[in-house]
Amino acid sequence: MKFMIGLLSAAIVGLAGAMPAHAETLRVGMECTYAPFNYRTPEGEMAGYDVDVAKGIAERIGVDLEYVCQEWDGMLPALLASKFDLIVASMSITEERKQKIDFSIPYRVSLGRILGAKDAGLKLFDDAGKPNPEAFNGLRFGVERASTYAKWVEAKLPGAEIVLYDGAQPMLLDLQNGRIDIAITNPMKAYLDFLSKENGAGFEFVSPPIDEVEYFGPGVGVGLRKGNDELLAKIDKALEDMIKDGSLEKYSSKYFPFSIQPSGWKGVGE
Amino acid sequence: MSLLDGWWDDFFFGLLTVLQVFCIALVIAVVCGLLGASAKLSNSRVLRGIAQAYTIVFRGAPELLVLLLFYFGMAITLTWFVQVFDPSVKFIDLPPFWAGSIAIGLIVGAYMTETFRGAFLGVDRGQVEAARALSLKRHQIFRYVRFPQMWRLALPNFGNHMLSIMKDTALVSIIGLEEILFVAKMANSIIHRPFLLYMTVALIYLAVTTVITSIVAWLELRANRHLRGAR
Repeated sequence: MKFMIGLLSAAIVGLAGAMPAHAETLRVGMECTYAPFNYRTPEGEMAGYDVDVAKGIAERIGVDLEYVCQEWDGMLPALLASKFDLIVASMSITEERKQKIDFSIPYRVSLGRILGAKDAGLKLFDDAGKPNPEAFNGLRFGVERASTYAKWVEAKLPGAEIVLYDGAQPMLLDLQNGRIDIAITNPMKAYLDFLSKENGAGFEFVSPPIDEVEYFGPGVGVGLRKGNDELLAKIDKALEDMIKDGSLEKYSSKYFPFSIQPSGWKGVGE
Repeated sequence: MSLLDGWWDDFFFGLLTVLQVFCIALVIAVVCGLLGASAKLSNSRVLRGIAQAYTIVFRGAPELLVLLLFYFGMAITLTWFVQVFDPSVKFIDLPPFWAGSIAIGLIVGAYMTETFRGAFLGVDRGQVEAARALSLKRHQIFRYVRFPQMWRLALPNFGNHMLSIMKDTALVSIIGLEEILFVAKMANSIIHRPFLLYMTVALIYLAVTTVITSIVAWLELRANRHLRGAR
């Protein structure tokens, strides 16, 4: 037993020596499976809107980037446990998250839309764009765990039968298979990955864009541990510059046939 | 299979990662299993207590939970531990590879403790007494009498544990280690062929576990070769 403890301590100290915390390299946490925002190409390159934004920031504040892939559920705990220094993972700025971490200014709009089968005859919203809670009663409603969408659905639609998913992919798969009736997710992603593809041919948006600031916040921002005010100021400055010189607009046009900036949001799939 | 073009190398490197995790977890599991079994069979109450606590915790807690605790908790614990020796160190990280390998090794080691304990008990006491009568030393008795006979009894279960380790490696994708399941998730987010991709992962796992099963069958044959004539 003593031998084992000795061995373990030796291994630990050995590991420790090999991995000091870096100062000049910022580690960026993202899912790596959230195309077209953050994903890896078959060639092994990180790509996507979030990645472009992260690169833009790094270039402007003069640091190197290192990508860390992390499942969505554990994104905040991993940041707090210093597994990486920044979250650039399409994370919406919300009051609840702001109690634990700091956010930069938003770098894209944050909203959700509900998807359903075309032939189901769903009339879930009134003409003013307000949800009709009774229409949701008994519907199996797919929602991503720990997302802003989950908070909104729980608060607004108590009658719906919520089915939680770890990501958009399995949720859309279940929607297609009929295991759930409707699903709420990021409309930009739903449009590119699903509605515009063969798989999603029988489906459509059955709600207007939902972007109540109380739940969805002012947009998607870069997250970092509290107490890094100097870095936060640099990132905000870099993002402001990127908005001004049109870089963000340029990045988003690489992936979307529409703008995803708060000022230029035009809607998708209309 | 042209759909998977460009992803094969990722699957290959994912498989390498899986095999690395497997090897390290296996070594840790065997070491922990042997130490645990020896402790449980020892005369010291303290050692027995420690081994008992170890098997209760690691066999009782869900594997996913142990993995997450290691990944998120160890960084903080390690930092504290290293700062005792070197206060200038600010932060120590336990990378997902090591967190995953150690967690799986410790979990399966707890199961192996019981397997080895049962197998050691299965060795006839008379054999050990005979070895003592021949004035063999303790380590000689272990090496030439107890271990080879224990090994024969432990092998079938040992094979099971090897398969457990192999399949547990699929869990490490949740702490961000880029093994084959993670590669499938990444590829799926681009090519949207979940069935094809997860089937590929299943087949890769099946291929590796088949190899492991064959190796264990061969080891069993070898361990029992002295009995062949008697049957």
